[in-house]
Amino acid sequence: MAKHIVKNIAAVNAANSVEAKTFDSASFARGENEANLHDQAFETKPVSFLQDSFRRFAKNKGSIAAAIVILIIALFGLIVPIASPMAHVDPVHYPQGYSDANFSFVTPCLEIFHGSGFWDGSKKVTLNANAYRALQLDDSNHARYYGEGVRNQGKLGEVTYSVRVDTYAIGNKVVTVDSSVFEKVYAENKRLIAAGKKSIMKPLIDYTAYVDAYVEKMEKDGQGATIIASIKDKMTNYYAQNASVYYALSAQRSDGSYQDSIFYPANKDMERTSNNDQVAPLYSSSLYEEHNGQYTIRVDYFDYFTLVRGFKPYYAFGANEQGQDLFLRLAQGTRFSLLLGIGISAINLVIGLIWGAVSGYYGGNVDLVMERVTDIIANIPSIVILTVASIQFGHNAELKAAIGEQGVIVLAFLLAFVYSGWVGVAGTTRMQFYRFKGQEYVLASRTLGAKDRRLIFRHILPNAAGTLVTSSVLMIPGVIFSESSLSYLGIISFRSVGLSSIGVLLDEGNGNLQSNPHVLLFPCLIISLLMISFNLFGNGLRDAFNTSLKGAED
Amino acid sequence: MSKTKQTLIYILQRLALMVLTFLVIFFICFALVRMLPVNPGQGMNDPETFWKMMVNQGRYRKVGNEYVAIPVLEQLGTFLKQLFDPTFKGSRLGYAYHVSGYWLESPASVLFSKMPPTILINIYSVIFSVPLGIGIGIFMALKKNKWEDTVLSILIMVTISVPSFVYAFMLQYLFAYVWQILPAQTASASAGWLSGEMFKSMLLPVLSMSFGSIAGYARYTRAELTEVLTSDFMLLARTKGLTRTQATVRHAFRNSLVPIFPMLLGEIISVLSGSLIIENIFGVNGVGAVYLNAITTRDYDVFQFVSMFYISIGLIGTLVVDISYGLVDPRIRMGSSK
Repeated sequence: MAKHIVKNIAAVNAANSVEAKTFDSASFARGENEANLHDQAFETKPVSFLQDSFRRFAKNKGSIAAAIVILIIALFGLIVPIASPMAHVDPVHYPQGYSDANFSFVTPCLEIFHGSGFWDGSKKVTLNANAYRALQLDDSNHARYYGEGVRNQGKLGEVTYSVRVDTYAIGNKVVTVDSSVFEKVYAENKRLIAAGKKSIMKPLIDYTAYVDAYVEKMEKDGQGATIIASIKDKMTNYYAQNASVYYALSAQRSDGSYQDSIFYPANKDMERTSNNDQVAPLYSSSLYEEHNGQYTIRVDYFDYFTLVRGFKPYYAFGANEQGQDLFLRLAQGTRFSLLLGIGISAINLVIGLIWGAVSGYYGGNVDLVMERVTDIIANIPSIVILTVASIQFGHNAELKAAIGEQGVIVLAFLLAFVYSGWVGVAGTTRMQFYRFKGQEYVLASRTLGAKDRRLIFRHILPNAAGTLVTSSVLMIPGVIFSESSLSYLGIISFRSVGLSSIGVLLDEGNGNLQSNPHVLLFPCLIISLLMISFNLFGNGLRDAFNTSLKGAED
Repeated sequence: MSKTKQTLIYILQRLALMVLTFLVIFFICFALVRMLPVNPGQGMNDPETFWKMMVNQGRYRKVGNEYVAIPVLEQLGTFLKQLFDPTFKGSRLGYAYHVSGYWLESPASVLFSKMPPTILINIYSVIFSVPLGIGIGIFMALKKNKWEDTVLSILIMVTISVPSFVYAFMLQYLFAYVWQILPAQTASASAGWLSGEMFKSMLLPVLSMSFGSIAGYARYTRAELTEVLTSDFMLLARTKGLTRTQATVRHAFRNSLVPIFPMLLGEIISVLSGSLIIENIFGVNGVGAVYLNAITTRDYDVFQFVSMFYISIGLIGTLVVDISYGLVDPRIRMGSSK
């Protein structure tokens, strides 16, 4: 094509060399290549600011991983409260949400790991000889410990056993149920027996008759009335508390006199025996007792629970003292903490943006006054505001009636963190305005008649978007961290109004670190993961929005 | 104007501004706290004394048999009058009504009696974490972009992010409960502040506070030192024949200390304020514990005094850091307009 043009020029030159020559129009060829004379279009696609930022962000592997972790934790908080069967239990049985004190402090367990020794709900404990024997003498359906206990001889001659117990095998319990539940259990029990499997229902223990007989024996042995009464009381109590004790008991004896401190398994002569085969069972002939339409039955509690509630009581993260599922509670807590963090940083972003924009754009005396105000606000610790607000709101009956107990505490917390949280955002915005408001493109727009609002929101603010988004994202872990420390310290009490947050769960673990570390482990793990991921994610965002890094690593 | 004079004026200006900020904050806090509903605390057992104190403090006035609250502004007037009245007998700053064992003591004496453990723990933490943090930072800067630097950077990122109470739980569980090497709670004051037993019992809180600051110092030192190491005068130093060690120690390190030194000063001032959560976990009977106690038992005078104490430490810390920048580095003219 270029050749074509050259040819034309050559023709013109040739024509010039011959003077006063006439041409007919045929000598001239119309340039057909006008289109080709234009500027060439860019072959690459234009990259917008956002696309460019996203490309830089995607290159940062740490940030991507962090974003995925945050997403997983957020999904955990969203899905578990919907999907967990424990979140949908009958409110008649559990008015305060699911909890079962029989499973108090069970350790974390996943069903697939059962018996493996890892994440299987087992726990290594040291028991005295009598307690170890009680584990062995158990007529429930599930083995209560793994393997054999290791015998330790103490310095003073006392014998203890180290054994790994299954915290979920809690043995038999006596429960009182209405007829519909009883029928269900009874039918299932029949079916199981017919199929040759272990039955859910166990015969009731007729311990009152046995205790009476034992009292007679003591009287025959010439014991004092006080010790007899005490032993009768304690033995009855012992049977009532431990539905797994199906056998005869005998009191400890030294030099012929009876003691009321410890009870040992006994044979049919009511004498203490160390042979498990000789232990005399006290089964009553009936499986249940009916009284006013209420049935009293003795059941293997784990199987009974599974049958009646419709799901197996496995707690992936273990349970707290009240037997609440920590997996569910932690999910609810994470959801609430994340919501608080996102909500507060969003509010702070809006307030800080407006404040900083006004202060930075107008400058001068307006700026001076606004800066002094932020100075003072930033220097009053939010803990003071929180304390004052929660006490003040707590005493305000009208407010309590309007938004409820939960609302009052959330409002106090929101106020304490919104109150000074926006100062940082305002500072960043203000700096951005000082940087950009004097630039020529702003002047050009102003000359064309743009109003203040247009200049602020269309021309200056978008420049600050990256920095502001980053600082807002980095504010979220800050709020979550503060919430957890304040809840742990008891300065705010989301717990007392039935709300669950990461801090509330930390607070529940408080004091259980020695005996039940799992109660603290998972909240700590989640909050650490959240902190690390949010910081990584925020740093990634900062680099992504930093245009000066464009092409720096290519 | 001479430079010293200029600096002096700048310092005085900043001081005046600080005092002003402090006063405004004090008035706001005073008003907020005095507006709260009154909490008799231990005064429940002795209402007569309690109300007498309330009247003495100018918070209530007895009208017939009733006690009537006085408006907050008037209370402020009484408070200021008592504060500057040399003939006034009793505690000018109010009384402890609820913090256990301190019934009707002055908040100042409550606070100062709790200072030793807090100061000790913080000093141990500074002594432990500053050299270690700066050392790691120097090491990283010298090994910049090598694998040591990468590994340490990731570690530091993680260490800074994880909250200090997580370390506290971890250390307490492992050292105190599983291995049973160190006590879970700090020893009581009767053991003697500088005794070996006290030191041993303070190791865990000191360690759990140090992780974060070590990482912080390391990150900061690394950033400063790498910047100095790449500057032109370092090239000159090497060109004129200094070895790498000489150039680093004599030129780079001293320059990189310029921003680190004020940070250290700030840390030393904040030695006085205790961490609420660490003191709570390890049962340290310190400043943080008394603050928490005042908040949870709603002992307003103590709460206000300790709050103002924390606020003044914050204000003084910022001031000292700002001023020391100019003193450490003569190139920085504080407060200069252009």
